[in-house]
Amino acid sequence: MSKQLKIAIILMVIGALLTTLAFFMAFYTARVQGFGTVVSDQPLDTAFALAPPSMQPTDGIAYERPWLSQKIFYFHVPVAEASFLIFTIAAIFALLFLLRKDKKYDTRSRIAMETAFVFVVATMITGVLWTRASWGVWWDWEPRLTTYFIMMILMIAYFVVRNSVGDEERAATYGAVFCLIAWVDAPLSFIITRLIPSNHPVVFQSGMDTTNLIPFIIAQIGMLMIGYAIYVLRVTEESMHERIELLKERLEA
Amino acid sequence: MSEKRNISSFDQFRAILHKDIVMELRTKEMLTSMGLYALLVLIIYYVALSQAGSAFEVERIAGGLLLLAIVFTSMLGLNRSLVHEKDQGCLEALLLSPVDRPVIFFGKAVGNLIFLILVQILIVPLFYFIFMSGSQVQSGPWWMLALALLVGSIGIAGVGTFLATMSVNTTGTDFILAIMFIPLVFPLLLVVVAALTAVITADAGYTQVYWTMLAAAAGYDVIMIAVAFALYEFIIGA
Amino acid sequence: MIDPTNTELYDLVLQDAPFVIAAYGILWLGLCAYVTFMLTRMLKMGKELTLLEDAVDKLK
Repeated sequence: MSKQLKIAIILMVIGALLTTLAFFMAFYTARVQGFGTVVSDQPLDTAFALAPPSMQPTDGIAYERPWLSQKIFYFHVPVAEASFLIFTIAAIFALLFLLRKDKKYDTRSRIAMETAFVFVVATMITGVLWTRASWGVWWDWEPRLTTYFIMMILMIAYFVVRNSVGDEERAATYGAVFCLIAWVDAPLSFIITRLIPSNHPVVFQSGMDTTNLIPFIIAQIGMLMIGYAIYVLRVTEESMHERIELLKERLEA
Repeated sequence: MSEKRNISSFDQFRAILHKDIVMELRTKEMLTSMGLYALLVLIIYYVALSQAGSAFEVERIAGGLLLLAIVFTSMLGLNRSLVHEKDQGCLEALLLSPVDRPVIFFGKAVGNLIFLILVQILIVPLFYFIFMSGSQVQSGPWWMLALALLVGSIGIAGVGTFLATMSVNTTGTDFILAIMFIPLVFPLLLVVVAALTAVITADAGYTQVYWTMLAAAAGYDVIMIAVAFALYEFIIGA
Repeated sequence: MIDPTNTELYDLVLQDAPFVIAAYGILWLGLCAYVTFMLTRMLKMGKELTLLEDAVDKLK
């Protein structure tokens, strides 16, 4: 077992412990805060009026229902930010591959894309459940959700394109090129809620309590550790696969 | 060697464009197939809207429908334009010739843009007569509509040519083009539809919406064509 | 913070509960399943690798 793999497994365990800790902190120490507002043209739950008067803003816009549904925040946001980060790393490896034409960067880029895709799917699932709990609908075509959805489709397209090219080197080049052009959507999706007013709250602009920031940071660090561990595991798996292929060839020869 | 003329990039670009147009004038294949396909899409629209009733406001969705027809038609055209090149070994010949790679991109993209504009000249009036002639709404000036369509077409032709160059070398050419093309041009389609609808409905203060959306579409065009331009060398050499 | 007499509010909190639990549950189980799947595949590969290496050694 290589040293990197050992570190990855340790990080995986620590990450799991940290995210579990954050989960309990979210329920026991984090306070409920009024995050963002809802201004939707769709008929939502009638729940808004039920928030206690002390939490209602004076300008007449009701806060979103901030109760239990808010607890998804401590998993949903760390997973989403990890997905953006890993996608960016994949794009950097893709760029390195195009510049240096070294196969190792292509493998890393592809595996980072796979890891990012796992996180994107996790973000989507938690996000959809949060949307349902908080806004009363399963899906809303608002800017953040739309751009993120497009990002997911682009990632699926990346794998479809790679698999449809027969030649390995060409598949690597096309994959890298498409990864770079698709990545343009990631920063767009990240900043769009800061540019266009939308239902999707920007929590860090509305100010966060320290009691809430701590579980969030713990969950974020834990999630990044898990992401790194998954990436390393996949890299190891891929190199094992290559070694098996090599040995098989030598046996046949 | 002393006789060697210095051929500028612009001459190379003109030669590629000239080749595409001459081929089209001979076969008339691209325009007939794209034109007929667009017509068929309009017929499907009629079927889809046939039960909508008279209270239905067609102006609200006319911009979207029009752009949809253009997107579908453009995908057909983009695919054909590069499949032709590949089947006849033309792409390889182009690569062997001492033409700058980005020039090939611009030559093909401008060729596709011209065909797309020609098809639009055919279907936009037709669309108006079929769906909008009974409408009571006072729309904005026609040049605003044309400008929005032009900005949209530039983005579609640029991104589309880039992606079609990739998809011709894959198995399942047209499907691969669709799955790459639609999510990538999605932002452009969204803002162009907003601009078109603003002109067609001409609500109060529509010019402001129109110019904002057009600026966003132009920004998309510039960014995506710059990225495509930078990356074209990699895909055409692969 | 929550007024204990406000029973309506508690009903509301309970309505949200399945979604919160499902979000955590699906995320956790999904990630666990993914990692387990990967690890078992790796273990299988490791066995195959030692077998192949032995075979290559015998050939020498």
